[in-house]
Amino acid sequence: MLALGYFTFKDLMHDRWRSLLTIISLGVVVSGYLLLASLSRAFLTVGKQSQITNNLVILSADAIDPMESSLDEEILQTAREIAPDQIQRAFPTLFRHMNIEGHILQVRAVPLEEMPTSLGLILLDGHWLSGSQQIVVDEEIARAAAWKIGSTVNIYGLDFQVTGLVRATESNLGAIWMTYLEGQSLFGMQHGFQVGYLALVPSADPESVRALLQANPSISVRYTVYLENSVSDAYNQVNHNLVTLSSVMAIVSLLAITFGIYNSTGLSLTERSYEISLLRVIGFTQGKLRGILFTRALLLTMAAYSLGWVVVDIYYNYRNLHSPMGFSEAPLNISLTPSTSLLGLGLAIAFAFLGVWLTSGHITTLNPMVESD
Amino acid sequence: MPSGTDSRYLIEAVGLGKVYQRGNEKVVALRNVSLSVESGEFAVIIGPSGSGKSTLLHILGGIDRPSTGELHATGVDLVAASDATLTRFRRDNIGFVFQFYNLLPSFNALDNVILPLLAKGMGWKASRARGEAILEQVGLDHRQKHTPGQLSGGEQQRVAIARAMVLEPCFILADEPTGDLDSASANSIIALMIDLNKRLGVTFIVATHNLNLLKVASCAYELVDGRLKAAPTG
Repeated sequence: MLALGYFTFKDLMHDRWRSLLTIISLGVVVSGYLLLASLSRAFLTVGKQSQITNNLVILSADAIDPMESSLDEEILQTAREIAPDQIQRAFPTLFRHMNIEGHILQVRAVPLEEMPTSLGLILLDGHWLSGSQQIVVDEEIARAAAWKIGSTVNIYGLDFQVTGLVRATESNLGAIWMTYLEGQSLFGMQHGFQVGYLALVPSADPESVRALLQANPSISVRYTVYLENSVSDAYNQVNHNLVTLSSVMAIVSLLAITFGIYNSTGLSLTERSYEISLLRVIGFTQGKLRGILFTRALLLTMAAYSLGWVVVDIYYNYRNLHSPMGFSEAPLNISLTPSTSLLGLGLAIAFAFLGVWLTSGHITTLNPMVESD
Repeated sequence: MPSGTDSRYLIEAVGLGKVYQRGNEKVVALRNVSLSVESGEFAVIIGPSGSGKSTLLHILGGIDRPSTGELHATGVDLVAASDATLTRFRRDNIGFVFQFYNLLPSFNALDNVILPLLAKGMGWKASRARGEAILEQVGLDHRQKHTPGQLSGGEQQRVAIARAMVLEPCFILADEPTGDLDSASANSIIALMIDLNKRLGVTFIVATHNLNLLKVASCAYELVDGRLKAAPTG
């Protein structure tokens, strides 16, 4: 094996410019795979946060973005009167999109007691809010912004301390969470609340309750009632499509390695029919010759994979440091994971071997005749 | 050993014929060729270009197959053998030397010499030690790191002979080994082959235009229009 690697390496070095070009072109393909596979994985991670909830949300009828909504607290009482047996709890929230330390994020102010209950926040680390100027932060946002328990986050000129990391299960959109008191002191109340939350009893049918509320003129004149999941469902559908698309494109990228190696090996076989005939004459079996071609493809693929991996790793590190990517308000934590890298390497080698196998079939029909006078 | 063969002979060919199909035309390259070579001989086959020398050597070496006749070498029936058997037979029993050396240009002399060892699966260190020893025997121990492009024609042919000998084959088939060399280099190569034959007992079968080789041959044949007949030696 050592000798086989040595001879193949020397052969590649003999034609070093072509070998280099082959490695670069395969490296570009590998980069395409790694970029797309990592992106796909990041979307998948975001999508995994989704969980079905039993909540309804009320927004102004003309609002597209929750931040544009204006909610009269009395409408929540109206809703409870319309469906008293189905609505367990109702509360308003303050909602803002904000640019915080370079990250476009949601800031939500809600009653503290609703965080682990109606809103389904799961505390992963730290503790719940217990004092002023404290926040809990979605784990993905914390990771993207490099915030930890105890970190100070400046919002509107005020410093807030991160006391806990949470996983938001009510929607895919990660956020910074604070209490009413903090939200009101930060934003003021001149714009009122934005979103009304209606937590239903477990036995209630959310769609029936939504239809009942929406049909009542006292609500429908000014507000629209949504299933909270409908927001995340649309988001999930887009996310799912992106995952599928990027996964397919990643595999297609790697398939291109088959054709790259096929062309490279085919060209090599055509140009070196003399050398191959000679090797047959001096006793190289078809299996040994295929072994040389497989080793050659393996070396090219490993070099190309290393090149592509380094380029993509540098790119993602640079992006994560200077301009982190996100999807809606959810940060995309894109990086090259061992599983993505190893899967890609395995597939790349398999596709490269497929390329050799496809093109080396005619070795069996080569006449090992060496022309002479 | 198959029946009908004489165990005295390393190679025994009886009634070999070879017909090529070239378009609609049949080209007869060999006609009823019979030949026997004993171990340790220095056999020379002379003949003009196109007489069928190369075809005969390729058939004797298991590179090509005869259309008719019987051929046994070291007890193996080369007519009936499978492609895989022929490949192993070539590797284990025959060394080849060609007119144009046929060295791999990307490898140095030592690498070229140890290629057959690689084909046989010999270990890395043992292969290199063996290759260095063989290169020393052909007088090229100081040129082992040079690629074919850095060697003269005579030196390249010495490397080719070293490659042919490295697995200690039963016999070496040399097809016009001096055909591409100037007279001084040609004489040097002839002297080397004779030395290896006398000193190490290596069996040579040489196809050539060079009539000087008849003087040193232990047996000689002349091939004309595909027919083989005995030729005078000495």
